[in-house]
Amino acid sequence: MNSDLRFSALKKTPFHSRTSLASRTNKWYTWNGFTVPTEYSTVELEYTAARNGTSVMDLTPMGKYEITGDDAHLFVDYLVTRDLSEMKDNTVAYIIWCNEDGKVLDDGTIFKYSSKKFMLCCAVKIFNWLNDSAEGFDVGIKDVTDTIAALSLQGPTSCSTLKNYGAHDLETLAPFEMKQFTIDGYNVLISRTGFTGDLGYEIWTDPENAESAWDSIFEAGKQLKIRPFGMHALDMTRIEAGFIQTNTDFMAAEDALRPVRMRSPYEIGMGWLVHFKKKNYFVGKKALKLEKEKSTTERCLVGLDIDGDKPAHGSVIYNEKKEDIGIVTAAMWSPTMKRNIALASLKRPYGIKIKDNIFAEIYHPEEIEYRKIWAKCKVVKRQFYNPERRNKVPADLYE
Amino acid sequence: MSDMQYDAIIIGGGHNGLVCANILGKKNKKVLVCEARENCGGMVNHEIINYVPSVPNSVSQSIGGLNLKYIPKGTIALSESGKHIRLIGNLHLDHATIAKFSTQDADRYLEFHDKMSQFSKTLGKFMLDSPPRIMNNNFSDYAKLFKLGLNVRMLGKKRFNEFARMIGLNIADELEDNFESTLLQGLIAHDSVLGSNLGARSPGSLINLLYRMAVHGNSLFGGIYEMEGGSESFISALLEKCNRNSVEIKTSASVKNCLIEDDKAVGVELHNGEKFFGKTVISNADPRSTYLCLLGAQNLDTDVKRRIKHHRSKGRVAKLSLELKQMPEFNDCDIEDLNSRMVVSPSIDYIEENFNPSKFDKLSSEPVLEICLKKDKDSNPSLDIQVQYAPYRAHGGWENIKEDYVNSIIKILSKYSSNIESCIESKTFITPDDIEQNYHVSGGHWHHGEIQIDQLFMLRPIPGAAQYRTHLDGLYLCGAGAHPGGGMHGISGKNAAKVVLGDL
Repeated sequence: MNSDLRFSALKKTPFHSRTSLASRTNKWYTWNGFTVPTEYSTVELEYTAARNGTSVMDLTPMGKYEITGDDAHLFVDYLVTRDLSEMKDNTVAYIIWCNEDGKVLDDGTIFKYSSKKFMLCCAVKIFNWLNDSAEGFDVGIKDVTDTIAALSLQGPTSCSTLKNYGAHDLETLAPFEMKQFTIDGYNVLISRTGFTGDLGYEIWTDPENAESAWDSIFEAGKQLKIRPFGMHALDMTRIEAGFIQTNTDFMAAEDALRPVRMRSPYEIGMGWLVHFKKKNYFVGKKALKLEKEKSTTERCLVGLDIDGDKPAHGSVIYNEKKEDIGIVTAAMWSPTMKRNIALASLKRPYGIKIKDNIFAEIYHPEEIEYRKIWAKCKVVKRQFYNPERRNKVPADLYE
Repeated sequence: MSDMQYDAIIIGGGHNGLVCANILGKKNKKVLVCEARENCGGMVNHEIINYVPSVPNSVSQSIGGLNLKYIPKGTIALSESGKHIRLIGNLHLDHATIAKFSTQDADRYLEFHDKMSQFSKTLGKFMLDSPPRIMNNNFSDYAKLFKLGLNVRMLGKKRFNEFARMIGLNIADELEDNFESTLLQGLIAHDSVLGSNLGARSPGSLINLLYRMAVHGNSLFGGIYEMEGGSESFISALLEKCNRNSVEIKTSASVKNCLIEDDKAVGVELHNGEKFFGKTVISNADPRSTYLCLLGAQNLDTDVKRRIKHHRSKGRVAKLSLELKQMPEFNDCDIEDLNSRMVVSPSIDYIEENFNPSKFDKLSSEPVLEICLKKDKDSNPSLDIQVQYAPYRAHGGWENIKEDYVNSIIKILSKYSSNIESCIESKTFITPDDIEQNYHVSGGHWHHGEIQIDQLFMLRPIPGAAQYRTHLDGLYLCGAGAHPGGGMHGISGKNAAKVVLGDL
């Protein structure tokens, strides 16, 4: 055993024996205390698998919380800004939650098994927040991060791969639905969810089945362009899909050191998830209502289509008078769409009322030196990539 | 929308609730008071308190003047040796009294009294008014804060430095620096820690004394005025005013929760299912009950729940009432002395040794006591005894240790009164736990929450709830949990009424 705490402090996921074997580059990072690959081979190959075959990502480090009890449904509805009162069993919903100032803490997904059992998934750890929020509700909160192994299978052939693996009739599962399967004698929960903006699934099972599931899935996808997929390729796909990432596109209210960095849902394009009409109170409602009534929203998060082909990483955005009006939070050259795209946080009214004459100052690295590019931008919908197959039921199948 | 029956519904008919009701009633507002107990008055009750101090003029005037009479009350620091210290509030005479023990202490006493009076006056104006709230960006709030700053600065450089030094200080250090008589130290330290969850050596124990001096007109150890007729006359005077101001009062009307529509308080629902609707709801209940029970944890932001759960409100004072067959005799005390407030707190160390077990929810065998004799012409005398450092929830359960504890208190008493045991007819003992149960005050705290720098002024009871407003529109706080705090002065009731009138 390695006695050096620097290594032993990092946890290994139940897929570690498989992911470490698949890693050709030895590029790893730490996510919620687990070590997982950033890249297995090259980011381009992995990205291509997600767009043209099946990509497989180890999702185990994702924060997972089981919420059970008589008030579980009421509590979940109270915790998030979205109206979940009508949420059906065996469905999943995309959610955000805020603090009392109506500033976003994080986003995630909520899985409903029954009105008395939910699972909340998010990138960071939020056990204390859930526990303190639960005061006054008859619920129990359990951190199940370490006791559920999870994989994300994304891409056009993902449905076929999972069908080969043993998930019968999976193609009938609609987006944001989930279903229990028994495969090779163990239980697997499969949800039609993902972070790539394409057809995709996430699978959830006991850690003891992890290695066997990984092997069976790769066997099942052998002819379907299956490939393990790391964090860097995920970042590319999520930007194309227009999905936001906490502490990248905005600072989580609990992590922000400067109060001015905290963002309300309206400032990160999540206003559609705030439902004042829901019957019960929800955390942050008072502040959000005030923000809406008084129109005090200061910023917005928009998609930018940028001239040229040089990604605008970290670029400052200017108006025609060369006044600083915002910053790019994520940028890339999209290989699928052949467009130079970015997500940017702008000061209103830029991005909302004023969408023209916006420029990005791009510093393009060229072997130690930088080339400064003044590129014209167009404000566009954040969802750059949205193929028809993403929401198609039954899902496309390949042989 | 339900039709509004009342302009204001007040939850709890304690003195603050009644003061608030009267001010609103006087302005022709339709007011309903819901009191859970059979009678109004709340903790202004002989079961809990020893005597009622004077009510500030501003409060009395705001409801058209209360016809109350006061009797001066001296203080005796009892000594086992019989060498008691008697203070009556006249500085000249008190100086002479203390000089009998130590001439140095006597001079220092004048200086100390002068300094504390000046500081408490500086705070006093601030205490009597509604606290500022900076987040509102309101000019008058800034002006108020500026004025306090100015008042403090106007003390002069020397006193300003002294004020800054003392505001977070423990009372023991200050007393030991000044006085050599441990009995005098014990007496003043007693008045500093009374009703709080602090020992004499706990940081911040001095501000409790400043607070009490500020709300009771700068007089404390010695110069107290007691209300004639006690709690009954105070409450009946308030009730008589209520009658004149057409305030409707329902007793045995325990409120279950506040009714909320469109994120606004619109009324109350009683435990018996009755509902009343009003434009505003004003809670005289303690902040924790108001937030977690009346408003409901399900209607609060997580951060607010965190704050209200951290609100410190565990009571530390029990009350022993002894009905007596005959007048007791106290060693080396004459019949006049028995009218005084008698304090058993012979030294700072005595207080600390008392305080220590209470930290572990245990009891001291030699408690700190404040004793007042009550004698009416036509009834037997009785002794009201306040017992400091009785834990809210005692280790081993109050029901199992109550009797032994009461006996240990009587044993202490008999050190100062040789015939006390033979005088006792009956005993009643009320713990903070009992206060919580019987008076619906979570923690059973006198002040509905500690008087400490983090729970005072704009931070009282919790950040975001200052100026008598709560996190729910239309729901207000008027009790001791709001600024400035408890002490039977009715200031919070008066200030809350002003805020509600402005909003109505």
